[in-house]
Amino acid sequence: MNRRVKSGLREERWNGLGVSDGVVVGRVLRVHSGTQQIYRARLDEMELRREVRRLRAAVRLSRRQLLAIRARAEKELGAAHAYIFDAHLLMLEDSKLIDEIEEYIRRERANAEWAVKVVADRLLAVYAAIKDDYLRERGSDIEDVTQRILVALGGEHPFHKNLTEDAVLVAEDLLPSTVAELDYTKVRGMAMDNGGWTSHTAIIARGLGIPAVVGLRDLSRRARTGDPVIVDADKGTVILHPSATSAESYRLQKASQKIEASDAPEIFRGPVRSLDNVEVRLRANIELPAEFEGVAKFGAEGVGLYRSEFLLSQRGPMPSEEEQCEAYKEVARLGGDAGATVRLFDLGGEKISGAFGDVERNPALGLRAIRFSLRWEKVLRLQARSILRAAAFGKLKIVLPMISDLTDVRRARHIIEEERTRLESEGKQTGCVQIGAMIEVPSAVLVADKIAREVDFFSLGTNDLVQYLLAVDRGNDDVSEWFRSLHPAVLQSIKRTLDVALGAGIPAVICGEMAATPAYAVILLGLGATDFSMTASSLPRVRQTISKIKYSDAREIAEECLTCATADEVEELVRERLGTKWPKLFPAQSLPAKKSRV
Amino acid sequence: MIEERVRITNRLGLHARAAAQLVRLASGFSSAVRLERVDGSASADAKSILSVLMLAAARGTELRATAQGVDEHEAIAAVSRLFEEGFGEIEQ
Repeated sequence: MNRRVKSGLREERWNGLGVSDGVVVGRVLRVHSGTQQIYRARLDEMELRREVRRLRAAVRLSRRQLLAIRARAEKELGAAHAYIFDAHLLMLEDSKLIDEIEEYIRRERANAEWAVKVVADRLLAVYAAIKDDYLRERGSDIEDVTQRILVALGGEHPFHKNLTEDAVLVAEDLLPSTVAELDYTKVRGMAMDNGGWTSHTAIIARGLGIPAVVGLRDLSRRARTGDPVIVDADKGTVILHPSATSAESYRLQKASQKIEASDAPEIFRGPVRSLDNVEVRLRANIELPAEFEGVAKFGAEGVGLYRSEFLLSQRGPMPSEEEQCEAYKEVARLGGDAGATVRLFDLGGEKISGAFGDVERNPALGLRAIRFSLRWEKVLRLQARSILRAAAFGKLKIVLPMISDLTDVRRARHIIEEERTRLESEGKQTGCVQIGAMIEVPSAVLVADKIAREVDFFSLGTNDLVQYLLAVDRGNDDVSEWFRSLHPAVLQSIKRTLDVALGAGIPAVICGEMAATPAYAVILLGLGATDFSMTASSLPRVRQTISKIKYSDAREIAEECLTCATADEVEELVRERLGTKWPKLFPAQSLPAKKSRV
Repeated sequence: MIEERVRITNRLGLHARAAAQLVRLASGFSSAVRLERVDGSASADAKSILSVLMLAAARGTELRATAQGVDEHEAIAAVSRLFEEGFGEIEQ
């Protein structure tokens, strides 16, 4: 491992997709995923016996590691994520793999590493020829398992011992077992060659509140363990061997973040008030069990959005009513007096293709979210029953995702009510549950006034709203410059929805990650939003920002934004107004960067 | 040796989780348990996950399950039941 600071190496900048928030200055920890060189050696009779023993020891070590990983994954990521390691364990025990490797060692007088590689490659070739997409992907599990044996043969535990306090993981991609094995408490950032917004890396990074950038093409080939690196997830930039100037500017930025963070605890809990006394509620979005402790830690006023689809593994069986009910009780408990809002399974397209029907050609516009629940009514009924029962033990609300027509609301409501009646006739206890609509499809914005009459609240999903309104896929690098959260059409849609809610006397919660960026939060506040829900780790920043500004100033700026013709104009205006009005709160780097399309 | 026809009814087919369930179950018997596509194009050792996955058996596939050994009746009964139950997945 090379730990010396390299002098004379030129700064290299890489642009990718920031999949979480924040900036970290640290050192590279290169995690290999199957790229190491393996050489062939010829062994004599004596060595052969030793080689087989060495292989068996490596398999035993791998097995112990996998057992530990499975237990940990079950606890921290949920049973749904753990099953894959069950398959890994069986592969390790599989005679097709291990016996063949041993046989190859004996027959070819080869070293264990070489034998593992040859046998694995043969199996992979067979899998690569399978027609079924899902099964073909299982090749990556074989790679994961054989990689583990190879590392064990080297006599090392994968990489735990290398984790320093400022480790930034750099890899082509993280294998599921590597992710589950991470010592989360020590990883400060992640930078991956592959992956998108919904990759495993991205989900974990957001859950843990650490900066992560993906889609960096070949960064991992250039980075060595110990190299200084900066990961700026806000901008989607990674700087390898940063120059003194870059490092200094980031260190300053980080220092100012630290001051902000230490300011926060004094004003930590309950609603935050702007300088002119407008009260704003701050709630938490949660999904992974690892995020649960953040709700209390970051002073969230309940859970504004629980992404319940986490309960369904992509490929596992449906959790039973009892299992789901327990999960919702736990979420209600986290929400406390302020309660928790459960979003019905937001499944579809890429998440379940193949599981419930054919692969869709256009999953974003396909059978997903509420449409999925209405089609697979049994799934909806089971979820509704579980939530209604859990609501007897705590405050729960239901929000219906991807509503595009009032009929969706009526049908879902009808089914939920039927289940309530049925539960009551079965003598089971239920609790009172308000039902709200996610406003994230443009058609719902346009008929929001009609929807408002038949729901108890609105949740604005800004991520999807931007995606559907601007017809741009957030996960697609090629169109990232068209993904503009501050597009005038987005601001007008949000404004319109907030006004409708106000007129109808129902609450409207902004649930997208847009609110987690302080500059955007100011604009949202200015548009009239006073109820936000976001990743818990982002709350202190937003709390601090709102506590230091006046609502009336925010409104003035937001109103000016609404008159703009283009996203560029809005962004320019935001940069200029926020930077001038609150230079301390909004240093240049914290404001949306210029995205020039010329 | 005894045999029984089974059909894959769960939507995902014999995927990793289902295969893992099947392998764990089959490994609990001393009999040799095999699965074979009814057209004879492929067969698998039900105690090997890699072998079972390579059947690439999607929903609707018909398989011939065979068991040979002292507990062959119990083995076949248990394996057929697992297939009938669709590996505990959701169905409409």
